[in-house]
Amino acid sequence: MKMLKSKADLVSKAIKKADIYCAAAVYEIANTNERNDLECLMFSKRRDALSLARWEHTPASVLQALSENVLRNSDIANVDSAILTRIEKNPNTPSLALSQHYKSEKYKKQKLSFIALVAEHQNTPLQILESIARFENDIEGLKSLSRNISANASVLTILVSRIPNIFDKNVAAHPSASANLLELIYARGNAYTRAAIIGHKNCPLCLVESAEQNGDLPLLMLRQLAKDERLSKNTLIKLSSNIDSVVRYGIACNLATPKAVLSSLSHDSSAAVRRAIASRFDLTITSIIVLMKDKDVWVRQWLARNLRVPKKLLEQLAQDKHADVRRAVARNPRCPIVVLDLLAQDESAWVRSAVAYQKKTPRRLMQLLAGDTNIDVLSGVANNHHTPQKILQKLALSAEEDIRRGVIINLNATRKTMLPLLEDSYYLHRLMLIKKPQLNQKDIWRLCDDPDFQVRFMAFRHIAHKLLVNSAQE
Amino acid sequence: MSTILVVAEHRQNALRPVSFELISAAHGLKKSSDDKVLVAVIGSQSEAYVEALSVNGVDEVVVLKSSVSDFDPDIFEAALSALIESKKPSVVLLPHSVDSMGYAATLASKLRCGFSTDVFIAEYQGDELVATRGGYNQKVNVEVDFPSKSCVLMTIRAGAFKPLEGKASPVVSNFDLPAVQSRSQNKEFIELGGGNDIDITTAEFIMSIGRGVGEETNVEQFRELAETAGATLCCSRPIADAGWLPKSRQVGQSGKTVGACKLYVAMGVSGSIQHMAGMKHVPTIVAVNTDPAASIFTIAKYGIVADIFDIEEELNNQLST
Repeated sequence: MKMLKSKADLVSKAIKKADIYCAAAVYEIANTNERNDLECLMFSKRRDALSLARWEHTPASVLQALSENVLRNSDIANVDSAILTRIEKNPNTPSLALSQHYKSEKYKKQKLSFIALVAEHQNTPLQILESIARFENDIEGLKSLSRNISANASVLTILVSRIPNIFDKNVAAHPSASANLLELIYARGNAYTRAAIIGHKNCPLCLVESAEQNGDLPLLMLRQLAKDERLSKNTLIKLSSNIDSVVRYGIACNLATPKAVLSSLSHDSSAAVRRAIASRFDLTITSIIVLMKDKDVWVRQWLARNLRVPKKLLEQLAQDKHADVRRAVARNPRCPIVVLDLLAQDESAWVRSAVAYQKKTPRRLMQLLAGDTNIDVLSGVANNHHTPQKILQKLALSAEEDIRRGVIINLNATRKTMLPLLEDSYYLHRLMLIKKPQLNQKDIWRLCDDPDFQVRFMAFRHIAHKLLVNSAQE
Repeated sequence: MSTILVVAEHRQNALRPVSFELISAAHGLKKSSDDKVLVAVIGSQSEAYVEALSVNGVDEVVVLKSSVSDFDPDIFEAALSALIESKKPSVVLLPHSVDSMGYAATLASKLRCGFSTDVFIAEYQGDELVATRGGYNQKVNVEVDFPSKSCVLMTIRAGAFKPLEGKASPVVSNFDLPAVQSRSQNKEFIELGGGNDIDITTAEFIMSIGRGVGEETNVEQFRELAETAGATLCCSRPIADAGWLPKSRQVGQSGKTVGACKLYVAMGVSGSIQHMAGMKHVPTIVAVNTDPAASIFTIAKYGIVADIFDIEEELNNQLST
């Protein structure tokens, strides 16, 4: 295929190919006349329209055009609700199309349940969500709305004020629920709803204080309360000796917990509590020394990953009999090079793999690890930006696709290293190459005739985007 | 009276569990009490498996002693060819495994048997044997029949049949292998992927993590949870590509198909086509994702629209108390 220079050339090429995916890729850069031709190509067969309506990569502009095409070309009795439903479910569908669906009388008469799809779509405009909260009566649709993370506090307030109780549980867990709204729901909620509110980031202080003073708080709420950083020192100390290990776990995770309490929790009978202490970024050296000798492997693993652990102690953990602990040391960003030297020769391939993926691992160790036979180690070598280019070039020709993919992911791999991968037998690899800045437009152009439709789509779309950016700069 | 022949599979001196599933499938194909289930076991130490194979549903164990302990396609093909000619079974069942793929098709073609692979239902509809297998990348079930075939050879999907319980005392016989020149040589046994890591294709309960897990340290939380829950931790491609879990734990087109899985808990897995190719056949899929539009929900039996870390914490609470 000859290299193209202008948007018109690319669109014309896509039309000539009579390929709906290439057509969808260039739709955004096409002019009005060209768009008519492209729409004719993409939407004239219902089967193609259905495919595009559902496909995860279909551009927003194509979904908008398809939506308008369906609404325009159908009458009240004959609207193609299968295509419209797929459009409503597609995460790429733009807000305009969703608004048009909601407002379309002929569609509304056909299918009442579509409200649920519009109500849960994250691109639905706030004014439509508000309108649904205010006027719609379909409970399933309103439940979808109460879960939609695009709904703001105002929409949620309208909803729970108009129809109390039914949606409280969802709203109590909604990130946009305001302090006032949570207070309102708390007053009428059961223990589950109240526990969710106590654990909510917007939970008002007055509710935390009142729960703190309640000596008979249900366990569900107490577990949430233990994690709240606004608790008083006395409450934190009191809860640290609670009989329930989940409450103590909450205290072990709580950033406000005093150091003395953390020290005593380092000896807790529950491994889950000690694991939480071992993963804290404000660990004291006393706790570290206690936890180094812990019988629970997971405690030592969390410790081995902890950035607070001094290098000398990391060296000790690197000698642990359990491979997962040694691996955790190798993955610690503060792991000394001398320890990486030791772990690069570990008997466990999973430990050596951790060294191969470690960003600090020097070039000489990468050369050593390149001689390994294990696929995880070699994938790490292929991924690591310290790996010499000659080794990457060799790995790009590996029979193992995981290793070849490592080279594609490597930000340091040069164009020369990547070129043979344009012929890779695995379509996903060719797809991944399209976005690599190391490759130029001429290289990507080779993929426009790829046998896989997704690769063709991405290659056309990539070039279309470049042409769009270039013309904007001109 | 007809005979159903099962070929037992072993690797690294251990019988593979699928062998017992084949016995169960064979037992289900008996049309009368006169029908017999024969289990053939081939290898240099094949008699060592007789006791383990003496289970309910087996009428006879046939020991075929070969010169090599490991699988060899030429030896298996020649041995079974001679055994089928001699015993004249109406059905031959093999595991749908990499071993069988090395010789089953050639054997079926050579003996002019009916043939179907990756079968998960085998039954008689009237007098006609019908095998059900997946088609179009498991999107549809295809029923295959074998008109006018006196012998049908099928490879059976692992996990499709529940093994029968209880021991039995089958007849044990020997069958001499024909002389055959092997064209291959076993040099070394290498377990692909994580070396000492487990084989996820045989795991029944899998917890799988995807991009939603966010950071490498979070992977450890889910490793802990999977360990406590007794699940095998697996992942989608980006997690293995980042080196956060071994490649041997990767499910999907680039990874493995979890053939024996019965419960799959997908945590923060969006459900790309590539990932779903390796797990969508699982009968019970539980998906947890904050995005209600995530593709994984289209195949999940139970869907939870929630933060995976909230669910992880709650599961930990439930399991630790």
